[in-house]
Amino acid sequence: MRRTVLSAMALACTAVLAGTVPAFADGATPSPTVPATATAVPAPSEEPTSPSQSAVPSPIDESTRPSESTVPTPIAEPTEMPSDGQVSVVPSGAPDTGVTAGSSQSGGEGGLIGGGAAAVLVAGGVAVFVVRRRRATGA
Amino acid sequence: MTPLSRRAFVAAATASLLAGCTGDRENRTTTARGSSAPSSSSSASGKPARPLGRSVPVGLRIPAIDVDTPVMRLGLAPDGTVQVPPVAADDRAGWYRHSPTPGQVGPSVILGHVTVDPYGDGVFRHLERLRRGDRIEVRLENGTTAEFAVGSLRNVAKANFPVDDVYGDVDRPELRLITCGGPRTADGYLNNVIAFAALSSSRS
Repeated sequence: MRRTVLSAMALACTAVLAGTVPAFADGATPSPTVPATATAVPAPSEEPTSPSQSAVPSPIDESTRPSESTVPTPIAEPTEMPSDGQVSVVPSGAPDTGVTAGSSQSGGEGGLIGGGAAAVLVAGGVAVFVVRRRRATGA
Repeated sequence: MTPLSRRAFVAAATASLLAGCTGDRENRTTTARGSSAPSSSSSASGKPARPLGRSVPVGLRIPAIDVDTPVMRLGLAPDGTVQVPPVAADDRAGWYRHSPTPGQVGPSVILGHVTVDPYGDGVFRHLERLRRGDRIEVRLENGTTAEFAVGSLRNVAKANFPVDDVYGDVDRPELRLITCGGPRTADGYLNNVIAFAALSSSRS
């Protein structure tokens, strides 16, 4: 009877540990592709649009502005906006619009998942050891 | 090993396997088709539509691939690449704010993710299914809806991203929808999928 109880406890502990692994994987990279600086976060379109409607480039150098979450413009980004069509600033390279679990931005997840799986295995081994030891002592 | 110990071990091993599989659960719907569509960037509709005034996009609807999403504004990342929408469960599209607003003369650029692991599919997960003539509706801040018709779809290697075709000047209102596609590696997707569309009509 006690063996059964012990076995059930071991299984429950293992299941709990297994359940925590996805949570670990999520927590490591809350926003994998968002640049670290607050100003680099894209601004929702619901924000005031008046700056973008100005045809006159702003005299203020964006790169010297303090980094505040309320500033919609990323660091060092030109402030000129197209007023009559065409692209005013051509980005370099290709956009990275496919975030995968194995991409560089979220590379920490693999290690966490592996570590979690190892922890589960260790927990299982400990459970086996305890059960066998209890059996050997006749408890 | 006693039967009891064996049972405990098997249970632990099973739990480990389940934990290992969880990380890949959200990857299930990703496709990596390598086929390329015709490479022309011309519009499907030969009928010119009158250009619209400047008004930022706030919503995007593509009935053919079940897209109906708010549109945020995107700028440039510090490294000079275009920003992409943040990785979130409520994935949305983003308009590159250094491009014309949809309906203005020029190439308006809207980007969206194909996948947003660990959350699963991105808003442009089925962009590659678009076909010539499919309708794209962009809701503008001033209440107008600009309607575009897909002219062509391209699946190109990121290393050969067609900068001129996407961002180059055009003499009519056009729209580019961009996401990732093609083969998927540990570092991400190797290709970009780009839909080229031209303004077909508008309504208030």
